[in-house]
Amino acid sequence: MDVLHYLSIGFSVALTPLNLGLVLAGCFIGTLIGSLPGIGPINGVAILLPLAYSVGLPPESALILLAGVYYGAEYGGRISSILLNVPGDAGAIMTTLDGYPMAKRGEGGRALALSAVSSFFGSMGALLLMVIFAPLLSKLAIQFGPSEYVWLMIFAFTCLATMVGKRPIKTVVGVVIGLLFATVGIDSGTGILRFTMGIPNLFDGVDFLVVVIGMFAISEVLILLESWARNDLKLTPVGKSFISFSDIMAVKWVILRSTLSGFLIGVLPGTGASIASAVAYGTEKRFAEGKDDHFGDGDIRGLAAPEAANNASAAGSMVPMLTLGIPGSGTTAILLGALLMFNITPGPLLFEQQPNIAWGLIASMFIGNIALLVMNLPLIGLFVRLLSIKQSYLVPIIVMLTFVGIYSIHGDTFDLFFMIVLGVFAFILRKLGFSLAPVILGLVLGEVLEENLRRALSISGGDWSILLNGTMTYVLAFATVAALTAPRILKALKK
Amino acid sequence: MNWGNNMLYDRIFAGALLVLSGLIAWTAFHFDVPFQYEPLGPKAFPIILSIVLAACCVWMIVKPDKNSWHPTKEILTKIVIGLVIMVLYAALFEEAGFIIATTIVGAIFSWLFGEKPLKAFLYALALSLISYFLLADLMELNVPTGLLLGDL
Repeated sequence: MDVLHYLSIGFSVALTPLNLGLVLAGCFIGTLIGSLPGIGPINGVAILLPLAYSVGLPPESALILLAGVYYGAEYGGRISSILLNVPGDAGAIMTTLDGYPMAKRGEGGRALALSAVSSFFGSMGALLLMVIFAPLLSKLAIQFGPSEYVWLMIFAFTCLATMVGKRPIKTVVGVVIGLLFATVGIDSGTGILRFTMGIPNLFDGVDFLVVVIGMFAISEVLILLESWARNDLKLTPVGKSFISFSDIMAVKWVILRSTLSGFLIGVLPGTGASIASAVAYGTEKRFAEGKDDHFGDGDIRGLAAPEAANNASAAGSMVPMLTLGIPGSGTTAILLGALLMFNITPGPLLFEQQPNIAWGLIASMFIGNIALLVMNLPLIGLFVRLLSIKQSYLVPIIVMLTFVGIYSIHGDTFDLFFMIVLGVFAFILRKLGFSLAPVILGLVLGEVLEENLRRALSISGGDWSILLNGTMTYVLAFATVAALTAPRILKALKK
Repeated sequence: MNWGNNMLYDRIFAGALLVLSGLIAWTAFHFDVPFQYEPLGPKAFPIILSIVLAACCVWMIVKPDKNSWHPTKEILTKIVIGLVIMVLYAALFEEAGFIIATTIVGAIFSWLFGEKPLKAFLYALALSLISYFLLADLMELNVPTGLLLGDL
């Protein structure tokens, strides 16, 4: 079996002492970051990225660390959701619905353990699906030419626009801003300078890290400054209750269904954990109707479903990132940017030409998930105590890490000022109801999109009809139209 | 159409972006391209993007969202102070060095988030010393020493 052979390569990479240590560290840091209210997975990965880069880790190790932080944070997000009723990020909102009521009636321990177990099965299930489907998808993608890639990206942006946020138009604006950022610097085709405004630091293009850190971490600090007033949050005591075997048996089908839907939604470009958990919760609620249903006041099914789904979608969103080079969520967009910084272009060839990276990552995710389950059952007390860390201690650390991280890349204070400017810009965007994920997605995909568009048109000698040439382009164009119209049609049907 | 106050933010922002998209298109159109081997060249992509952006902006100006941000004066002051300190941090970072800059900036931030001045200062001092050791010695990152230790 090919897959088993590659998996064994993967495990040999993931089990080296360095990488094993990094998986564990990543999962631990991730859980920590995820459990701190207000700092979601994206910020965690963004803040650690320049550090991982500057320390000089080999690419597969850096990716293993950052991915560990990513799914660790998806785990950690549930702690503040359950005990504080404050979701760490959008993906954890659904967890508060039934998790918090459970904690309030003294079953905090049971809720935490159950959500850890659901998360575990959710990610493990999704990982198995990933092992099966990722190579298939990359085999299909190998036949993709530039036109297909152009469509894939347009499809991704369309999904993002119609499914994320309230105003599709604002998502489109975000994507275009990101794409425009990507055009700054030397044009690879002709060597001319574009939009550098004569600033030498911009000749190489806008530094990806500076944009990510500025837009996410700096604007987050400003948002924290604004929203800081909730020091009086009441921590619900964990209690002595714990999960029982019959609990797990009661939710086994819930977990299975939510894992499948979570994975599929994760694979779709542009849609991530928040949609996956909402869909899973809604589905299970409908399934349970009339059958002893306590959704909304502490039903264990209502807790298991979003937790399994959001972890499954975290694994699912890795699939298009690794096989097509098109990220499925804001966080995977950052991971993709990280790979590009190491001069590794993810795509269909990644699985065959650099199995140590693709399969090493997958293998490390298996290990990481087991580690997370082990860490989360006995160590839960430690993470819970972290929730009471004061912002006054936390914010200086965040600010310091962002500055050190950015300065250590080029050793130039220009980057620091530029980062602050971007942070203010992102703060304004967020206050106006824009979301930042589209900007980052645009930024990472900008160069690839332009390159493929130009390549397609040089093949055809300037004839735009090449974009609709071949079965796959029609399929993707149709999918784009479907993504554009489906939400409206569904809405109309509901009425 | 309501040109009232409570839809202003979106319109101002979209208006600014509209001007920007015009500038981008104009700049891109005037790129000096000495040679070019492909039909599309470096101009087309930015121009297409600026057209899309401009169209979106017009749409946003016609149909803006209501302002959902209503900061109090107190909050605005806090945000501005936070910003000023970050700019200060960026300015001091290389010149004064990591330890001094982090102590000052960390203390102010800690104070902004409700810590008492002395405690905030002590925390920031401890934070900067410990993390200097961790970052510079253990992780071997490029952390400026600045005034304190000279250029070692």
